[in-house]
Amino acid sequence: MTAMIQTKSLSKWFGEVVAVNNLDLVIDEKITGLLGPNGAGKSTFIKLALGLYVPSRGEVRIFGDTPRNNMDVLRRIGYCPETDNFFESATGFEFVYHLNRYWGMGRKQARIAAENACELTQMTSRMHDPIETYSKGMRQRIKIAQALSANPELLFLDEPMNGLDPRGRDEMYSLIQALADIGMTVVVSSHILYEIERITDCVALMFKGSLLAQGRVRDIRDLIDKHPHAIRVQSARPRETAAPFVACSDVTSIDFEDAAFVMRTRDPNLCYEMLNEMMVRGENDICAIECADDSLQSVFDYLTR
Amino acid sequence: MNTANDMPEKMSAETVPVTTGDGDTPPVRVLPDWLKPGHPIKHGGYITNLMASCGHALIMLTRRKRLLMATLIAFLPVLIPIALAFLSNSRFAESGNEVFVRLVENLHITVFTPLLALFFGGMLVAEDIETRTMPYILTRPVPRSAWVIGRFCAFMIVASVVLISSTILTFIASSVHEKLSITNPIDLLLLLHYLGVMVVALLAYGGFAVFLGAFTKRPIVYGIILLYGWQQLATQIPGLVDFFTIKKYIDGLLPVMATQRNVVEIQTALGSFQREVFQVSATKSIVVLLLIMAVSLLATIIAVTRREYAADRAAGG
Repeated sequence: MTAMIQTKSLSKWFGEVVAVNNLDLVIDEKITGLLGPNGAGKSTFIKLALGLYVPSRGEVRIFGDTPRNNMDVLRRIGYCPETDNFFESATGFEFVYHLNRYWGMGRKQARIAAENACELTQMTSRMHDPIETYSKGMRQRIKIAQALSANPELLFLDEPMNGLDPRGRDEMYSLIQALADIGMTVVVSSHILYEIERITDCVALMFKGSLLAQGRVRDIRDLIDKHPHAIRVQSARPRETAAPFVACSDVTSIDFEDAAFVMRTRDPNLCYEMLNEMMVRGENDICAIECADDSLQSVFDYLTR
Repeated sequence: MNTANDMPEKMSAETVPVTTGDGDTPPVRVLPDWLKPGHPIKHGGYITNLMASCGHALIMLTRRKRLLMATLIAFLPVLIPIALAFLSNSRFAESGNEVFVRLVENLHITVFTPLLALFFGGMLVAEDIETRTMPYILTRPVPRSAWVIGRFCAFMIVASVVLISSTILTFIASSVHEKLSITNPIDLLLLLHYLGVMVVALLAYGGFAVFLGAFTKRPIVYGIILLYGWQQLATQIPGLVDFFTIKKYIDGLLPVMATQRNVVEIQTALGSFQREVFQVSATKSIVVLLLIMAVSLLATIIAVTRREYAADRAAGG
């Protein structure tokens, strides 16, 4: 079966700047988080996938086909760009309506689809106001509306949480999950790991144009087990609790907090066993043990260190 | 940051989140039926795409403040015959035909047509590049040729309406003088002839301006240099250089005084001299002008299809 998105040795450079470097990537999950700091090549990858850029080397295939100027592919794709650019003096409704018309819709169909999309993104009450009067969050909503308006199969959202308030973010998370639930494939880019963690554990980590890792967060974590795992232990007497681990050769560091400590170890299983035994014996009032590495931030930090 | 004002006053029953966000679990959301599979979009053909592009460009063009300014400037010649009737007693002012011909040839065709082409045609593609809205258009399944031609059609509609209405009013105003009448069929034919020349000139200048807009960052600056600088200069240089101007072929379509145009006296600081001007027939002129338009639009379509117009390239994001 053809992968939704597949790249082979995909590279893109602008003069001396290498934006995407030898990227081999397959995206087939319902929601994939494209993760990396600013300048990692996330937006360039999306633009390559949309056919906005010509690859300098390699190829990208969407639905098994090259996307650039390919009407059959573009018909099945929605795109919400990162930048806040709109048609001059257009209202939110007009913006979505005209882009619907460019999708090949007739006037009536484009109008209905624009109204539906504005309603979906909760912009109905302001859709006839000029976009210049919109807040950042409302601009974000109207961009999402135009991307969804033609009911695409594949949706690219480039930094969709930008400018949204906490409630708006919650709504965005739920919208993305609902879209995936009805069968839409969503690729979300973000440089904020927490945002991606909220909606998917399937990520592609990018850094300086290269793919660092792809898969589930835990799988990625397993791949890098040569790096110490971090375990956070909450205890009333952290120094006493940490004492047995100082002797362990696999423990590389221990950082103390008020009523907790974080240890980094190359052999997490051994440490968990030791902690388990201490808890069974009721020693040192251990009240919580958590894997500090499960957050994407720590995985990302390890990989880019 | 959003404010409470961003929130909608009421939410649709179909799209209301069933639960609100609490902790790390996103709220469950019920989507409307139109987003679910089995609701395919009906895609129109080439003409639908062309109409979409034309309709959008028409709205964009008519909303521009510069359209009002351009219209006011284009209508200024209407006042001249009336002013001449009251203020001048020269022989020139006695002939409505001559007043009309001079105004149309020297202002409407020589000045306003390229000016409208540059300010509206030149911005048809350039504006989307400048405002970085090209990625929206280029990620839509709209044939690039339909998009370019649709926009060009919108330009032709707006520019033609402005120029034709101004010319007709100038003709009516000129008829207050003798030797021109709005009921005389010969004079009306003269008017129609000039209107035709204007439309053909708009096609050529407009096509060229659209091409400049797609290829250069400052189409108006380059356009002014080429259409007002180079074209004027080329007509002064002896030889065949003027064949490399659009004006040359527009002049070939002009109806009156054709025999007087093949010898041009040029006044310089060193004295005056004459240069022979090689005339181009009306038919050949039309062919060349249409060819200029077609080649320009084709080059624009190729540019839009091949160039990378996506924003933020330099950011490397």
